[in-house]
Amino acid sequence: MTQMMRRMASMALGLLIGLSALGCNVIRVSLNTSLAPEDVAFIVPGKTTLSEVVANLGAPDSIDDSDSGVVATYRFLDLKYSRVNFGWLAKPWTPVDPDLIFSRTGLGVDAFEVLCDGQWVVRQKEFLRHLIRPPFYPYPFQRSGRLAPDELLLGTGPARPAIMVSHESGNDRSRSVPDK
Amino acid sequence: MKIVRSIYALLVLTMMIQGCAFSRGTLGDDIRTDAVAALQKGITTKDEVLRLLGAPDRLVPLNGRDVFQYYRYDAKAGSLLLIILNFSRLSVKSDDLFVILNRDGIVEDVIASKRTDALAFRFWPFGE
Repeated sequence: MTQMMRRMASMALGLLIGLSALGCNVIRVSLNTSLAPEDVAFIVPGKTTLSEVVANLGAPDSIDDSDSGVVATYRFLDLKYSRVNFGWLAKPWTPVDPDLIFSRTGLGVDAFEVLCDGQWVVRQKEFLRHLIRPPFYPYPFQRSGRLAPDELLLGTGPARPAIMVSHESGNDRSRSVPDK
Repeated sequence: MKIVRSIYALLVLTMMIQGCAFSRGTLGDDIRTDAVAALQKGITTKDEVLRLLGAPDRLVPLNGRDVFQYYRYDAKAGSLLLIILNFSRLSVKSDDLFVILNRDGIVEDVIASKRTDALAFRFWPFGE
C-alpha cells in the first residue's frame, strides 16, 4: 500500500512539473558584461585615473567631450523574457489551438558613466539607472522592480543598490528629487 | 543491458540535438591586433593610423584632441527547442579601440579591449 502511494505521489509530482512547464519559453539577451556596484567599487573619485578604469573594466563603449572634461560610458543590457501558454492544457480536448498566455519582459538596460577631468583623473562615477536585475517571472500583473523616488527617500522598497549608499559626491538620486 | 542503455542514451542525445539552433551576426570589421600593436605613443601619426586601421567608425573632438573610435560587434545565439519548453540565449559583445591624437596629430594614447574572444554560444538563460 505504501509502495502504491509512493508511486502515485511520484506520478503526481511528475505531472505537476510537466504541467508547469507546458508551453514555456525562456529567453535571455545580454549585451556586454553587466556591471554591478561592487565591480566599480575600486574607482575612487579624485584618485583613480581612466587608465586604471580601462585596465579593470576594458575599453568603454564611448568617450565624449563635456565642458568639465571627458565622459566614458560603459553600456550593458540584460534582457529576460519568459512566457507560459496555459492553452496547452486544453489542446488534447479541443479542435482549435487555444491560447492563454502570460509573458513578461525585463529590459535591464543600463550604463555606467565615468566623468574625468583634463588630466584623465576620475571626478565622478554613476550608473545611469539603478535597475534591480529583472527575474524570469512570466506573471505580468505585478509592479516593476524599479524603485520609485519616494521609496528611495524613505528606503521602503526592496534592497537598495549599494551605489546609492556608497556614492561620495552627494549627487545621488535620493537627494536630487526636486521639491514639488 | 548495456546495449539497451546505450541505445536509450543515443536516442535521448539525438532527440536533444534535433531541437538545437545556432545563429551568429557581426557588425563591423575585425580590429587587427597587429595594427593596434603597431601604434606607438608619441611617434605614430594620424596618417599612419589611417593607413593601418582605415577610417574610424566615429570621430570625437575631445578638448582640442581628436579621438578615432573603431568598433566591432559579435552576436551569438543558441536555442534549445524542446517543443513545450524552449530556452534561448543571445549574447552580444564588442571590440572597441580608441586612438587619442594630440593637437599635432600624433598618437597620445591608445585604449583597446577585445571582448569577443570570450564570446561563446550559450542556450541556458539562467545564471551569469
